[in-house]
Amino acid sequence: MSTDRDTTRIVRSWLRTDEHESADRVLGTVLDRLDTTPQRRATWWPARRTPTMNRFLTIGLGAAAVVVLLFLGSRLLGSPSGLGGPGAEPTPTPQASVAEPSVPPSVEPSPTPVGLLPEGSHVLSDAGVAMTVDIPGPDWYGEPFKGILIKNDNADAPDGAGMIVFTEGLYYVYADPCRWSTTTPDAPATTVDEVVSALSAQASRDASAPVDVTVDGYEGKSITLHVPDDAVFSECDQDFFGSWGVESESTPARYSQDPGQIDELWILDVDGVLVVIDTAYYEGTPAEDVAEMRAIVDSITFEAP
Amino acid sequence: MIGAVHAEEAMDTDLVVRAQRGDKEAYADLAFGIADRFLAVARRILRDMDLAEDAIQQALLSIWQDLPQLRDPARFEAWSYRILLRACYAEGRKQRRWAPNLRLLPADEPTRGDGMSSVVDRDQLEGGFRRLSFDHRAVVVLHHYLDLPIDRVAEVLGIPVGTAHSRLHYAMRGLRAALDADARPTTQEAAR
Repeated sequence: MSTDRDTTRIVRSWLRTDEHESADRVLGTVLDRLDTTPQRRATWWPARRTPTMNRFLTIGLGAAAVVVLLFLGSRLLGSPSGLGGPGAEPTPTPQASVAEPSVPPSVEPSPTPVGLLPEGSHVLSDAGVAMTVDIPGPDWYGEPFKGILIKNDNADAPDGAGMIVFTEGLYYVYADPCRWSTTTPDAPATTVDEVVSALSAQASRDASAPVDVTVDGYEGKSITLHVPDDAVFSECDQDFFGSWGVESESTPARYSQDPGQIDELWILDVDGVLVVIDTAYYEGTPAEDVAEMRAIVDSITFEAP
Repeated sequence: MIGAVHAEEAMDTDLVVRAQRGDKEAYADLAFGIADRFLAVARRILRDMDLAEDAIQQALLSIWQDLPQLRDPARFEAWSYRILLRACYAEGRKQRRWAPNLRLLPADEPTRGDGMSSVVDRDQLEGGFRRLSFDHRAVVVLHHYLDLPIDRVAEVLGIPVGTAHSRLHYAMRGLRAALDADARPTTQEAAR
């Protein structure tokens, strides 16, 4: 009769025989298929692949550079209080060479646009519209160039908080976020009112009444949506509880993290580009974190396309 | 040696992050580093090379697709193994029966001094292992082949540590019974 030790030794020996497997053939097949296998975007770490990205990204990055230079210039060349000296004189075209020696770290776009973001101004941009935001407190993470900010690097229930900006232009708002694959509208919403109307009618979201808002002078509407506490995402189409899709993607562009999620949305028309700012949190999210997200929205300065 | 592999994986976080951003070359490097080991694990769980290849192909593509959703790149190892095991499970379910794939050693193979005493042991183990559920096979392979500590096994499988312990105990008891069955005399032999 075998002892436990004998059995373990025999099983380990048996498992370690025939160790000459090579996955090269399979690996070749997999790598060949990567080009036709798009990555699924995560809500908080999305890989954006809209057809308009290149054009918008070029405009956005160019605008971002202008915004940063202007901001640096305003910081370096004096404040309204007038501390005196040459820097106090307004200069329409700030010299980059002047700015370099004393660039405050907090106003630079992060050289690696992923990770912890220091308090202060950051260029935040989705594909279509560049904007600056003020990070009002510590422990904000994100990918500014993808329009993503997350408090404490945690956007999950029960106490996470995160925000994401979409500038897709065309939004296919599902009639039912759980049955999104069969309730995708034939035509996208292309105006603030159309997006708000579709979201207000979305099943199970307990939408608030839309409220007129203005962000950086751009008018739009705000609406709050909810994900039911008893939602079971695994019973939804492909496990997604989706709010909307965008052109060229077959799965939701925006989907919820967890049941109980609350989404405060700002839907704006920024010189013809439909911008959706989505701040998400939960009942257990600290009020300060929610307040910081709202403060970030209030701080937005758009660089219109 | 498998333990050394884990140390290398821990240093691949940068590759993971780059692959998350859609860098195919980074993912190719990442996949190259894990594919053989994935195949070995899948082959041992499924007991069939064709099924194992199908499973790792599906797993490697799923990992690529879902990488942007991995929140913590440092957890890539456990996350990717979980996807592999799901793929193994899916492949296994495609087969109404586990395809027989016994690879018996030649009858004249000398006895090894590592506890693998006979062809019969292999035969009995193969039969005993095939009688285990997928969940039990996975625990045995992760723990006794990959040398993952039981708490890491639990993490990979997404189950409590106690459950992992229980599954391992049950699985090893089944395998021991399979080995002992060979050692017991048959009814006819006992009657002589």
